[in-house]
Amino acid sequence: MLAYIIRRLFYAIPILIGVNLLTFILFFVVNSPDDMAVSQLGQKYVTPEAVEAWKRKNGYDVPLFFNAEAPGSEALTETIFFSKSVKLFAFDFGRSESGRDITTDVSTRMWPSLAVALPTFVVGIWVNICVALMVVMFHATRLDRWTVFVFVGLMSISYLFYIIGGQYLVAKTWKLVPISGFSEIEPWKFLLLPVLVGVIAGIGAGARWYRTLFLEEANQDYVRTARAKGASEIRILFRHILPNALIPILTGVVVVIPQLFMGGLLIESFFGIPGLGSYMLDAINAQDFAIVRSMVFIGSILYIIGLILTDISYTWADPRLRLN
Amino acid sequence: MKPLLLWSDILIYLLVFALCAFFWRLRHDPQTREHWRQVFGTRMGMVTITVILVYVGIALLDSLHFRRALEPVEGSPHGEVFYSNKVTSVLDVMLGGMGERFERTYSAPFALNSFEKQDAKNEQGQTYRDFPLLEHAGRHLAQPEERWSDVLDKSFQGLFWGLMLSALLIGLQWIFLRRSSYPWGASWATQGIVICLAVWLVSISRYYHVLGTDLGGADVAYQSIKGVRTGVLLGTLSTLIMLPIAITLGVSAGYFKGWVDDAVQYLYTTLSSIPGILLIAASVLLFQVYIDLNPDSFSIGLEKADARFLALCFILGVTSWSSLCRLIRAETLKISQLGYVQAAHAFGVSHQRILARHILPNVTHIILITFVLDFSALVLAEAVLSYIGVGIDPSMASWGNMINGARSELSREPVVWWTLTGAFFFMFVLVLAANLFSDLVRDAFDPRSSTRRSPA
Amino acid sequence: MTTTSAPVMQVRDLRVEVIESGDQILKGVSLELRAGEIFALVGESGSGKSVTSLAAMRLLPSALRITAGEVRVGDDDLFELSEADMQTVRGERVAMIFQNAMSALNPVQTVGDQVAETLRLHTPLKGAALRQRVVQLFAEVGIQDAAARCAFYPHQLSGGQQQRVMIAMALACEPDILIADEPTTSLDVTIQAQVLALIRGLTRSRQLAVLLITHDMGVVRHTADEVAVMYRGEIIERAPVEEFFRNPQQAYSRRLIAALPDLTHFHESRSDQALLQLDDVKVHFPIRKGVLQRVVDYTRAVDGVSLSIGRGETYALVGESGSGKSTLGRAILNLEPVAAGQISFMGQPIQTLSRRAMLPYRKKIQVIFQNPYSSMNPRLTVAQVISEGMDSLGMGLSTAQRDERIAALLRRVQLGDEFSARFPHELSGGQLQRIAIARALAVEPQLIICDEPTSALDVSIRAEVLDLLRELQREFGVSYLFITHDLSIVPSLAHTVGVMQAGKLVEQGSAEKILTRPQHPYTQALLKSVPRVESV
Repeated sequence: MLAYIIRRLFYAIPILIGVNLLTFILFFVVNSPDDMAVSQLGQKYVTPEAVEAWKRKNGYDVPLFFNAEAPGSEALTETIFFSKSVKLFAFDFGRSESGRDITTDVSTRMWPSLAVALPTFVVGIWVNICVALMVVMFHATRLDRWTVFVFVGLMSISYLFYIIGGQYLVAKTWKLVPISGFSEIEPWKFLLLPVLVGVIAGIGAGARWYRTLFLEEANQDYVRTARAKGASEIRILFRHILPNALIPILTGVVVVIPQLFMGGLLIESFFGIPGLGSYMLDAINAQDFAIVRSMVFIGSILYIIGLILTDISYTWADPRLRLN
Repeated sequence: MKPLLLWSDILIYLLVFALCAFFWRLRHDPQTREHWRQVFGTRMGMVTITVILVYVGIALLDSLHFRRALEPVEGSPHGEVFYSNKVTSVLDVMLGGMGERFERTYSAPFALNSFEKQDAKNEQGQTYRDFPLLEHAGRHLAQPEERWSDVLDKSFQGLFWGLMLSALLIGLQWIFLRRSSYPWGASWATQGIVICLAVWLVSISRYYHVLGTDLGGADVAYQSIKGVRTGVLLGTLSTLIMLPIAITLGVSAGYFKGWVDDAVQYLYTTLSSIPGILLIAASVLLFQVYIDLNPDSFSIGLEKADARFLALCFILGVTSWSSLCRLIRAETLKISQLGYVQAAHAFGVSHQRILARHILPNVTHIILITFVLDFSALVLAEAVLSYIGVGIDPSMASWGNMINGARSELSREPVVWWTLTGAFFFMFVLVLAANLFSDLVRDAFDPRSSTRRSPA
Repeated sequence: MTTTSAPVMQVRDLRVEVIESGDQILKGVSLELRAGEIFALVGESGSGKSVTSLAAMRLLPSALRITAGEVRVGDDDLFELSEADMQTVRGERVAMIFQNAMSALNPVQTVGDQVAETLRLHTPLKGAALRQRVVQLFAEVGIQDAAARCAFYPHQLSGGQQQRVMIAMALACEPDILIADEPTTSLDVTIQAQVLALIRGLTRSRQLAVLLITHDMGVVRHTADEVAVMYRGEIIERAPVEEFFRNPQQAYSRRLIAALPDLTHFHESRSDQALLQLDDVKVHFPIRKGVLQRVVDYTRAVDGVSLSIGRGETYALVGESGSGKSTLGRAILNLEPVAAGQISFMGQPIQTLSRRAMLPYRKKIQVIFQNPYSSMNPRLTVAQVISEGMDSLGMGLSTAQRDERIAALLRRVQLGDEFSARFPHELSGGQLQRIAIARALAVEPQLIICDEPTSALDVSIRAEVLDLLRELQREFGVSYLFITHDLSIVPSLAHTVGVMQAGKLVEQGSAEKILTRPQHPYTQALLKSVPRVESV
């Protein structure tokens, strides 16, 4: 098992290098430092001197990959690639275009993100499983067909509608919670609505997917065996179908757990939560490539951790794999 | 007038042509026909495909662009014609100038007055503040109180002509299709509703703003209909760009295995490890920078917007192939182990021939299912991307831009709800139809779901 | 044997239909089960034998519906009970075991827990007493080291042990009636015999009334007391087992019995000229371990096999699943790399030839696969399937000649010309296998590798396909390498027999020698478990 995890970690290295190269090409080759200078300086006609000054100030006045003028190993280190991309591997994210320290920003902003995303995730799964179980109990009746229709309907509604509708109804009309914002004191007041919206928006797709998983298990041979034993339908559902279906459900969601730190772009910006999601959105709007680049890298690392966790959870949850 | 071909227009017509050719070729394959029969044998299938085709039809009509010739100006050289800078589409003509009736700013559905007070002068030259009358709504009324009875009256007229038109169109279909075994009745009912609604909308729009107007005073119903083209094109073009990448890589990975497989797996793991929205946002921003730095390449505003739109389709396509690729790779791996591929090897059939004859035709069901599923996902994604500011160019009509422009207005008192409603409603109907249709397609084409239904 | 005791379970005039189409699946089935006796319900796939048992227990899939009949257990009519009462009947009074125990057991529950569940449902047993009872049951059904095995998950047990767990689960509450639905079908022959012996023993010792559902006449012959033959939803013949085999009344029953092997007549080997020669052939699959995935060892799928097949001769390669016999077949076709040894065809080594250089030999060596449904591309017509080899191997035929040849081949495998435009999914398994034969014959091969070509077919169809293969051999002088797990079809076909176990050829020789005077203990065990009907 340990050897397996180590091997997976080794596999992660070329992927991260790939991510790094890809973002580098996107940000510095397609969009050259000169272009960046022009758009950052924000004037129609920029003098070449101003461009040079901007590049020098922000460290873009060196070659992209290879610095022939620098002595020794600095030929490689005194380059944009090294200073802007390779340092990401050491979690040195540098400064944003506006001069803020990205590492500090990230470490303070990830907690509010987690505070919204984690409850949404946990409650969401729980609610979806419960709803799906209820539907499965009425399988092959008219009720079942209608709920599936309703699920598809819920899926077809834009996420933006859930957010706007939730804010309008719960916060504005009923005045139960503040419309948006965040504070360390009584954070639950601000978290309630985003979590609620997140959970409801996920029911359509989630419950529908789990229903399919449950039904797939309900057609397995061992369910017939349980019936032949004289077990009741409720017992079959909870003792036989549920534990088997939980394996794909749980292992399927493990991959997103690390990414909960990243938060949700829309939820955070609508509800004014100072998390990483709104951080990213602000960066995109301000065209702050340093932050976008760092977030891409963090996101990739979290995804790869998620993949590894998925593999581990498989072997842990399924006795067929655990004991082989 | 002078026809104008946007790149996206050309592409969408090419796509429609390609799809028709594809289905024309497939029509002999008995299994495929059997599956389609299962899809269209249900009322749900007929209703959803009708709705989808209506949207596609609107999008196609809206993709025939031209520039109107301007009235010859006094003193200009004889015979020289100038063309309007504004691009019109066939759809605009059919909507009877709905898009040309601008107000100053917000107005509620069927309102006669503007939503905001404005300074005006009365006959005595005194300035006062009031809700001014709208330019294009209810001007024909003698008394404002007659409004609702007039609306009702006009509605009945609209409905009457709608019913006549649908009777004509459906009657024609009935003559040819009455012996068909498919549930055409469901489709006809949908067609009838759509035709009546359309006729009603076009006719009454000449007197009122059915869904009000937005901040810039544009008719919301018109904006919502113009959003159809954007949504439909984005959904299809992105998938079209994604398909060849996913198919080529997926099939070769699953068939050749070894280092090809390793390389493809590396590629898609790397790509999917980057948070999708960031990758898209970054790419779009970069393209925007390119457009801004090269303003000369695009002669008119719409062409610029169209270029950005195509870039968005391209970026969405290039960033979203990994999941389909994974599915195709797995299916190809499975098929390569089957008897008929083994038998082909034993007959010394070449790799190309095995791929073309045995592998590709047997993964088409996955491609089809993904195509329909991704379509609705992309339509929904457009709204989110536009909201983030990396979607459709703000000058182009799209549901995302409408929502983005209107969301802050919910905090007004009274609420401006109609822009959101229009955009969400048109989007919801399309996505719901596509989702329901994709469910049917999957049930029919996915071998797993068909075994699930048959008795043990 | 005469039966005197009163029936403990009676099924009367049971009728079942498909809800959607209204097709009749069961058309009035009646039978009685008596204590201490095994009642065998025999039939081929689709005859309705499994539906009978599921309907009797009200466990039909939702697409089917019972339309008439009654099932009496003691004084109760099962069709009149409430669902809650029915649950007390299932498992407590009537128990069931199913085929393929691996999938019939819950994969994420220990086998001990699964047996305990039956006891929990129907008895007040708890805690240590419950555990003890489970261990006792495991011991009774012959599971070694019963106490430890309780904590195992199904996948950790072998197929035979899994089926024993199923039996323990069924017997836990001491039911009066046991319904066994193809209990041994997916098991290897040697295990199959043991499980049947266990069921037979328990029937006598516990005075069970058993309904045994099977397609295998050999199983019936050795296990049952009374037989009923099912055909298209009806019982067409019913008799005590001795009488049935001595004097079957229906033509269909006679066909089923005739499909049993005759171990007295053999084919003589005639050829002395080797067509295919294998010398110490090895096929290895690497096993990788550790952080760097280095190859630490090899699975020796085929581990040094030498054999030779003469012209116009059939070599039967017999072995249980996983013995490496199919891998060997693939290696001969050059679809699997050979680690060591030599494969020569007409004296020419072929195991190292490139894809291109192999082409001339592809014409000479052809193959028929086990699963007829997956061996043809569902999107091609029968004509396209058959012509594939002719096209790719460049037979130099004009379109008209090719079509004529396809028609001739179809007629030769006893299908009409009209089949050429059909698609595989419209055809039955037997028809598909005939087309697979036609496809192989199309390129005029000298050797056909038949990889279990009949194991997916019903017995009566199986006999027809084997007859066809034999005729074609006489007509075209083609050789067969016949890969099979079923010794019973060997005597009607093979000249030479090789027995494979764990990648090695443990014994080979003429069919007569192997089947009448086996030397190796494994061959003897295989042979002992072959069901046979002593000729009358």
